[in-house]
Amino acid sequence: MLRRFLAPTIEVSAHCDLPCGVYDPAQARIEAQSVKAICEKVADNDDPDFRIRAAIIKEQRSELVKHHLWVLWTDYFKPPHFEKFPQLHTLVNEATKLAGGGGGTKATFDVAKADELLGKIDEIAAIFAETKKS
Amino acid sequence: MMRGLPRIGVAVVRGRSMEPTYAEGDSLLVAYGVRPVPGRAHVIRLPDGPDGPRPIAVKRLTRRERDGWWAERDNPAEGVDSWLVGAIPEHDVLARVLLRLPRSLRAR
Repeated sequence: MLRRFLAPTIEVSAHCDLPCGVYDPAQARIEAQSVKAICEKVADNDDPDFRIRAAIIKEQRSELVKHHLWVLWTDYFKPPHFEKFPQLHTLVNEATKLAGGGGGTKATFDVAKADELLGKIDEIAAIFAETKKS
Repeated sequence: MMRGLPRIGVAVVRGRSMEPTYAEGDSLLVAYGVRPVPGRAHVIRLPDGPDGPRPIAVKRLTRRERDGWWAERDNPAEGVDSWLVGAIPEHDVLARVLLRLPRSLRAR
């Protein structure tokens, strides 16, 4: 009798995280390219104001690299992906470290470091591309 | 929408697109099969996305459109709503939120 009035409890999504399903490592890559370009520009510019701006922008872009990689790691990749690509957790960890302040692109104007970061992003992008092939 | 006797149920919120009104884990008392009310939050079925079906969602119906109801999120920074997927057809509006159960009563 009661069941005529009581509906079962459900979960309702108030979700974000792009349920539109738009994920792409290209986002992280573009920010990392900015970081690399900043490093290159600073190498042949001694203007202190320019260097300060470059440092600030490099910090912000590096943070965006980390953000985009985390979104992929948290929202796009699913347990089956991690089973199939056991190196993925380590890759994301290494890539976000390379964009960070502990010897990553936040901490240095070294172009080689930016290249390392781009390389890691490409490795993640390769796995991403594999997961899109079904 | 089905007409007849409304059925009452509980819906548990997942996600942040309805903050600050509803937060993750809030329990809402909802009435199925009642007439939608513009301006109020409702339980709706979102159209399928590129990756398949989207979950049943809670959104605010803001206005009547020619082809259904315009559903919006309270948190513009997060979520998916009619700005992304267009109006929600009449039959995909499932229930109206009557009230949020007090957070102290939250079932663990």
